[in-house]
Amino acid sequence: MTRAPLLDIRDLRKTYRVKHGWPIARTSHVRALDGISLSVMPGEVLGVVGESGCGKSTLARVALRLQPADGGDVRFDGVNVLAASRSELRQLRRRMQMIFQDPSSSLDGRQRIIEALGEPLRVHGLASGASLRPTVARLLDEVGLPASALDRYPHEFSGGQRQRIGIARALALGPDLIFADEPVSALDVSVQAQILQLLGTIRATRNLALVFISHDLAVVRAFCQRVVVMYLGRIVESGDVGEVFSAPKHPYTQLLKASSPEPNPAKKIALSFQEGEPPSPLNPPTGCHFHPRCPLAVDRCRQEAPVLRMVAGQGAVACHLTETG
Amino acid sequence: MNAPLIVDGVTTSIRLDGQRHDVVRDISFQVAARETLALVGESGCGKSMTALSIMGLLPAGIASVSAGKIIVDGIDMVAADETVRESVRGNRIGMIFQEPMTSLNPVLPIGFQVGEALMQHQGLSRSAARAKALDLLEHVRIPSAARRLDDYPHQFSGGMRQRVMIALALACGPKVLIADEPTTALDVTIQRQVLALLADLQAREGLAVLLITHNLGVVASVADRVMVMYGGDVVESADVKDFFARPTHPYSVALLAAMPRIDATEGPQPIPGQVPSLDAMPSGCRFQSRCHLRQDVCSTLPPLKPVAGNPGHQVRCWMRGDT
Repeated sequence: MTRAPLLDIRDLRKTYRVKHGWPIARTSHVRALDGISLSVMPGEVLGVVGESGCGKSTLARVALRLQPADGGDVRFDGVNVLAASRSELRQLRRRMQMIFQDPSSSLDGRQRIIEALGEPLRVHGLASGASLRPTVARLLDEVGLPASALDRYPHEFSGGQRQRIGIARALALGPDLIFADEPVSALDVSVQAQILQLLGTIRATRNLALVFISHDLAVVRAFCQRVVVMYLGRIVESGDVGEVFSAPKHPYTQLLKASSPEPNPAKKIALSFQEGEPPSPLNPPTGCHFHPRCPLAVDRCRQEAPVLRMVAGQGAVACHLTETG
Repeated sequence: MNAPLIVDGVTTSIRLDGQRHDVVRDISFQVAARETLALVGESGCGKSMTALSIMGLLPAGIASVSAGKIIVDGIDMVAADETVRESVRGNRIGMIFQEPMTSLNPVLPIGFQVGEALMQHQGLSRSAARAKALDLLEHVRIPSAARRLDDYPHQFSGGMRQRVMIALALACGPKVLIADEPTTALDVTIQRQVLALLADLQAREGLAVLLITHNLGVVASVADRVMVMYGGDVVESADVKDFFARPTHPYSVALLAAMPRIDATEGPQPIPGQVPSLDAMPSGCRFQSRCHLRQDVCSTLPPLKPVAGNPGHQVRCWMRGDT
């Protein structure tokens, strides 16, 4: 029996208009999402990996309808998210939540924790009056914070504790799916491991699905089951996280892996000046976006954008050179 | 010949609410020409305070070096007055930071900013400084450098801005470079290029590099020696190979286990608890509150002692190392 995906994204597109230049401004278009398709099963953890500007954060915002899409389809448990009415959206927001990299920027500094976490509960009618404090205290307990945190302000907490508060707030409405956008990137290694362990426990006890957005391959390897690799608004490779990272097939995934330093002097990264910088998303290259940095590029790569094709195993790769053989 | 950077028994203290707190305690090391020493640790371990102590850039009236000697290219930075320190900075020691945007002036073209350093420190004329600035930008491999001299910092990508910072830091030919988390804000593919550039410049100019980082992966790839700091103390010091082959301090072991790895099937192991705040530091070993080996003796500060008879590998722990 095949289960239906909890989140199903088809050919999602988002273009930003950017004005630049002086004194006469020109308008350019940035295709932050250039036809993204992916799905997440209930209780599954999907990693989204890529460098700055690849569109991974836009993906979360558009899928949650915090920003409008320009095309494509997002279905959450069968409901059309992009076409949802206000009341449908209200229901959806209970079930889809988000965790941000820097929780202090998403917490109001003048709000006590009880207010910050109690507000969504009140608005959605899940708790009020006398039931509010014990409900919030239970949430804090779930993320490993004492009830004494209730009456304190965000600045009284360390970075790791603030991220716990951010997680508690995302959990307040009992979601089925959480988008976590670089949730551990700003944390020290020892705290990062604490938060990953906490997220893992919560995921298992609540059977949560997570879309885990990160630039860090090792973190994604440790936490996710499947992964999609993005480059300039497109998915270039996807598959089982172990398969993709142990034997990456797309040249960009190979470059990412070769550039990620590991704590092992026997596996030093080869220091290299080559491979240039990611091109400006304002003016992406023709054909395969990666071709100017790709050591294997041929004429076809400059002219024709490769499509994501299934390869042996469960993975998919968007590269002309993997089609043959 | 003496090492370009010698730090000997330095303690750095800050004053908070009338109380003195030691944020770096009795740290000693030398960095030779062409050598990279990595200072590793998490937020608040004292690694950046060590760098600021060396540069003589501690915030006046709040923090100061309360003991020890810092010798940069023969000059004692602790004993020297501010005029001497000013000339040592730039001419003998350069520094780059995590976020170049905070050190570059957003309203001045980068060619001017690099040239300004040369006019100030080397007394070059405006046109000579501009020509040398172009050389330097080419030296750090900024593509079409001549065309970019008059561009402003915001017109550069993060990786290119860090190259501009490196050009600025090396403008006056220093012997020592302090790199404080130089690639932490960069994407990994760009980090690799900047690390390659630093290694190349170091080899060509014989720089002594003090690399401050939290990333043990970067340490394994580029450093010769490593010192792990916790709560202001050096807890372990070793050649990179020895350190990764035989991490010995319980904090070093825990830190390595907390790192997620691409090739690992097991998840990272958290270190319980957190670094105590300055006013709650335990006496003796500062890691004892999170250490699974803790004994009563740990309330006395252990000395640094060799590991397995190797004087180049030292650990500060009563439970580990040679007796």
